[in-house]
Amino acid sequence: MQVPLRASLLAVVAFGLASTPELAWDWPLAPPRVAATFGTFAKGRVVTGLALASDGAPVRAADDGELSFISEEGISPSGLPSALGSFVVVEQDKGLAVLYSHLAAGSMSSFLRKPRSGDVLGSSGSSGWIEGSGIVFQVFDRLAGSWVNPLLLLPPLTVDKPPVIRSLALSSADKVYVLGAATSLPQGTYTIAADVADPAEPAWGTGSLAPYGIRLSIDGTEAARDRFDVARGTGGKLLLFGQPGVDADELRTKEGRYALAERLFTRGRTSIEVSVEDAEGNKRSSTWTFVVE
Amino acid sequence: MEETGKKRFAAAGIVAAGIAYFLVCAYPLPKELVLVPLWTRSLSQAPSAPAARKAQTEAPIPFRLGESYGYFTQDGSLLFAAPQGYGVALAADAFAPYDRLSEGFAIESPEGRTLAKVSAVGYPFFASGRRFVLAPDQAGVSELGPGGSVAWTYRFSSPATSFDASPAVAAFGLVDGSIVGLDRSGQAVLDFAPGGSRIAGVYGVAVSPDGLLVAAVTGLDRQRLVVMEKRSTAYRVAYHRYLSSDYRRAIFIGFTADGRLLEFESPSGVGVYDRATRSESVIPVPTAFKLGLAARDGRLLVLLSGEGETRRLVCAELPDRRVLDVEIQAKQAFVEARGDSLFLGVDDDLVRMDLKER
Repeated sequence: MQVPLRASLLAVVAFGLASTPELAWDWPLAPPRVAATFGTFAKGRVVTGLALASDGAPVRAADDGELSFISEEGISPSGLPSALGSFVVVEQDKGLAVLYSHLAAGSMSSFLRKPRSGDVLGSSGSSGWIEGSGIVFQVFDRLAGSWVNPLLLLPPLTVDKPPVIRSLALSSADKVYVLGAATSLPQGTYTIAADVADPAEPAWGTGSLAPYGIRLSIDGTEAARDRFDVARGTGGKLLLFGQPGVDADELRTKEGRYALAERLFTRGRTSIEVSVEDAEGNKRSSTWTFVVE
Repeated sequence: MEETGKKRFAAAGIVAAGIAYFLVCAYPLPKELVLVPLWTRSLSQAPSAPAARKAQTEAPIPFRLGESYGYFTQDGSLLFAAPQGYGVALAADAFAPYDRLSEGFAIESPEGRTLAKVSAVGYPFFASGRRFVLAPDQAGVSELGPGGSVAWTYRFSSPATSFDASPAVAAFGLVDGSIVGLDRSGQAVLDFAPGGSRIAGVYGVAVSPDGLLVAAVTGLDRQRLVVMEKRSTAYRVAYHRYLSSDYRRAIFIGFTADGRLLEFESPSGVGVYDRATRSESVIPVPTAFKLGLAARDGRLLVLLSGEGETRRLVCAELPDRRVLDVEIQAKQAFVEARGDSLFLGVDDDLVRMDLKER
C-alpha cells in the first residue's frame, strides 16, 4: 500500500528530528509508560495517537505552541458530551495540532495561551472515556488532514524487544486455517491475517498493542506493507496507512488478527513470510510453508 | 386694540395646537412587564425515580439542575428528580443515564418505560427527536434507530467540539475547523471548512429548526461568524462577519424555536442575527449561558446570564431593549420558556412564573 507524499516526507523529517535529541519533541509524561500505541484497537475505536499511563503526574507541552481550544469535562454548551474529558489543543509549527486529552478535571489553565516546551498544561487523569489514568496524546496534521503517529515525533523509547508474531491464519467464507496447526488447505481465495503485537504490556488492559509496521511476502514477493504512521477520517470512515487507505473497521478479523491481504491460492507449495517492526526499528520475521491441494 | 386681539388669537392658537398635539400624537407608555409566580416546587419533595404513569398529551419539560435531572409538567407536577451520576442524555420524550466507561445504556421515558436497550460504546446525546452516540475518541457519531440499534456511524476527520441538530440535519463542528452536516441516513450534506483565520477551529455551531441554515463561530485570529444557507441541494455561505471575540472554548450559540433569530455569545453581550434582514444586533448581557429561548410568540428573547452565584434572568425585545432583568442568587440555575410562561430552576427549587403586562 502506498504512503501519501506528505506523510512520507513528514515521517522522514520526524524520524530525523526524533533521532536528534535537541530537536525532538519532549515526552508529555516522563518517563513514558505506553498504554496504547497508534493503531491499537480499543473498545469502539482505533487509537489514533498514543495513550500514556500516569497517576496524576503533570502533563507538559511537547513543544512550543499556541493553545487553540480548551474543554473541561462535562456537557458542553452545545449539549455534546465530553468523551475526551478535559482536553486542550496546542497548535505547533508545520500545521500540526496536538491534542492532550483525558486530563484531570479542573487541572488545566485557561490562561496559558502560548505554552513553551515543558510548560505544565494540566495533570494526567481519567476524565472522559478512558480505560485507565493518564492521557491520550494525538498529533493532527492540518495540511494533510490526517493523524500522525506521535512516535515519529517523540524521542525514541528505549525498547530492545521486537514485536511478537503469534499466528498467521488464512480464512475463507466458512473456515479459518491457522498455519502451523494446518499444513494443507484446499485451493481458493483466502484472507491472510496475522496476530502480531508490540511486546509492551498494555498498561490499561486494552488488549494487544499495535506494532509500527507489518510486511507480508508470498513466495518471496511483497504482498502488503502496512505502517501505522498516519490515519485519516474521510467520507465518514477512518482510513489507515495513507492512500488509498484501509477502512479501520475492516482491518481486523473476527478473531482479532490484522487482515493483510486477500489472495487466490492454487495447487502447490506456498511460503508466507510476515515481518513486523516497532517504531524503534526492532524487527522480527516468521515464515510458514503449506500445501494447497 | 387690534394688536392685543392678534396676540390673544395667537395664544389661543398655540393652546389649541398643543391640545391637538396631545390628542393626535400621544404615544401611550408601554405597559410594564411583570413576572407573576404561579407555583414553586422543591426538588427534595420529588420522587427519585420515574413512576409509571400514562403518557400525557402535554410533553413534560426536562431539566438539568446542578447534579440533578428530571421532568416536570407545566401545572407543577414533578415527575422525578434523580442524581445525575456520570452523565445523562436528556430530551422531552426520553432520557438515558450513562457511566464514564459506557458500553451500553437504557433509554427510558419520563413515564418510567424502558424504550430501548443500546449496546453501543460511547456517550448518548439527544436533540430534535434524534438520538446519537458519541464515540469514545469524540471523532465518530452513530445515530440510533427507534429500537435502539445503530442506524449509521460516521467517522469525523478530527474530534467534535460542538453540535446542534434539527429533525433534518445534525451539524458538528470539529477541531480541524470543518463543519459536517449529516442527514437522517448519515450522509454528509455539508462538509465545509470556512477558513479565513490564522488558526482553524469551530467554537460553536447551530442549525435552524427547518435545517436550511447552519451557523458557526469559527477560527482564531480572526474569529468569525459564518451563516450557511441551503440553496437547492448545497449549503452556501449567506453571511459572514469577523468578530472581535477570541474564544478558545466552546461557546453558546443557537437559533430560536421559530428559526427567525440566531443568538450567539460575544464579548459585548448576546449577538443576534436576524435571518430575514441579515442584520445583527447585540443585547448587552454578560456571560449568557442559556440562549435560544423566546416567549410571547417569539417577540421576547429569554436569556439566563451571570456567573458564580449571581445569575440574571433577562427578557429582551430586539434590537436591544431589556424589558425585564431579574437578579437571582443561585449556584445552579435553569430556565425554560413555553408561550408566556417561564420555568426557572434555582438550586433546589423549580418555579413557574407567567409574564403579564401591567
